[in-house]
Amino acid sequence: MATPVNAQNPSKTWELSLYELHRTPQEAIMDSTEIAVSPRSLHSELMCPICLDMLKNTMTTKECLHRFCSECIVTALRSGNKECPTCRKKLVSKRSLRPDPNFDALISKIYPSRDEYEAHQDRVLERLSRLHNKQALSSSIEEGLKMQALHRAQRVRKQQQESDNTTFSGGEDNCDARSHDSVPMHPALPPTEAGPSQNKRPRLSDESCPEMDRGSPTPPLSHHHDGPASEIELVFRPHPLLVNTQEYSQTRYVKTTANATVDHLSKYLALRIALEERQAKRQPERPAAGESAAGDEGGGAGGGGGASLQDVSEKQYTIYITTSGGQFSILNGSLTLELVNEKYWKVSKPLELYYAPTKDHQQHH
Amino acid sequence: MASQNMDPAAASSTAALKGSETGGAAAKGSVSKRLQQELMTLMMSGDKGISAFPESDNLFKWIGTIDGAHGTVYEGLRYKLSLEFPSGYPYKAPRVKFITPCYHPNVDEHGNICLDILKEKWSALYDVRSILLSIQSLLGEPNNESPMNASAAELWENQEGRQHCVSISLPCCAVMQRVSIRFPTDL
Repeated sequence: MATPVNAQNPSKTWELSLYELHRTPQEAIMDSTEIAVSPRSLHSELMCPICLDMLKNTMTTKECLHRFCSECIVTALRSGNKECPTCRKKLVSKRSLRPDPNFDALISKIYPSRDEYEAHQDRVLERLSRLHNKQALSSSIEEGLKMQALHRAQRVRKQQQESDNTTFSGGEDNCDARSHDSVPMHPALPPTEAGPSQNKRPRLSDESCPEMDRGSPTPPLSHHHDGPASEIELVFRPHPLLVNTQEYSQTRYVKTTANATVDHLSKYLALRIALEERQAKRQPERPAAGESAAGDEGGGAGGGGGASLQDVSEKQYTIYITTSGGQFSILNGSLTLELVNEKYWKVSKPLELYYAPTKDHQQHH
Repeated sequence: MASQNMDPAAASSTAALKGSETGGAAAKGSVSKRLQQELMTLMMSGDKGISAFPESDNLFKWIGTIDGAHGTVYEGLRYKLSLEFPSGYPYKAPRVKFITPCYHPNVDEHGNICLDILKEKWSALYDVRSILLSIQSLLGEPNNESPMNASAAELWENQEGRQHCVSISLPCCAVMQRVSIRFPTDL
């Protein structure tokens, strides 16, 4: 790559390095050879260095050939320095720029659905700023669990209208764990101290029908601007090698927000299992799974095994995922499910995870 | 300049991200978008010796840290800085100040920094990362032509004096070390 004359260097001579003198030009591709270039590696080429976003209505400086969004460079010129932001070459006015429709065409060829790309960017940024405020998130999860317990009776109809944006929805064949209200909770503070893009309450219209998205390979992009974070469905099975199938053999289907972490999931699981065990103790004749949820919404569950629920912790169960080699690998608790999905899963079907009791988890308090 | 002095903390950045109703909100939205982009690249890049993170929920005020560069008298010391972004960012430079007292030819007693790229040489292409790297190199290589702290500039003329520059600000460093900064542990 030829190094352009350094703007800081006043000398007009163009000194070529040995490499530049001797290199042969790159052959043009004339046949049907295809070269794969990852969009990520292209990103710096297609990015406006001012807004750090993809170029929009590209303008190119006539002399130094640096590219910017039209809006960005015009604002830059208006707000003071009449020079190229990249190399400080003099830019007298807008007339030192020219539109670059070819470059716009190139971008729209590479990203035919730019809106989709931008929505994706927004999600990534949103996730980032959520990480920034983990505490708000976990308290909102606990609040979500509580709300879920309250709404459990109406769940058949209004399953998706839960009023918080981070909620675990349990699956169909789970034991119905009632009496979440006896579970120790933080006071249900509304997460007002949220991060920069922590959203306000989700609009019900956005959330009322997420079932429509099931099975469609593309995520529901339009929801992501001001709705809650995207949701992830996952299938949750006991670890086939580490768990005795007699213990808790059922497969669980969980739907939750993508920003929940593996730890959240693990704690949720520990809670479910603790509740199920308590339930089983109380009603031994009852089958372990598959009963109807509407039957006995009793308030009598409060006292019983409350002490054991105090001990529920994300350390009790380890979460695994299968990697390409068929190996089970342990997931770090701080990973968000969205990251797990991107990093390990990649295919567009519900994430499949495995759980087993943590080996060295002797006791906790 | 009025807009530059306005406190962007007044409006929550949540609203800014959503806002496209009014021009002002849209502009603020693009500023926070850029700041979030910067935050992301900064966290992904894993640069040694510099870091920065929004102070609280307000994306327009960050706290940065700089470790003194290897081979300079500032090696082994950590400096904390504040960065305040005007609503005209990145067309206007952020206000950058040392929070940790820094006895240096180009830093005054209030922590103000004399650095051309933060003043007339600002370009919209500079970002938090390049600012912190520039200040890091300014620590080791002061511009003694235009000192803000004349006595520091005088001391800087010999090695012994340089060491002295550092030791003058040392006790305060110890204070600074006790102030913990919250960073997410999982990135």
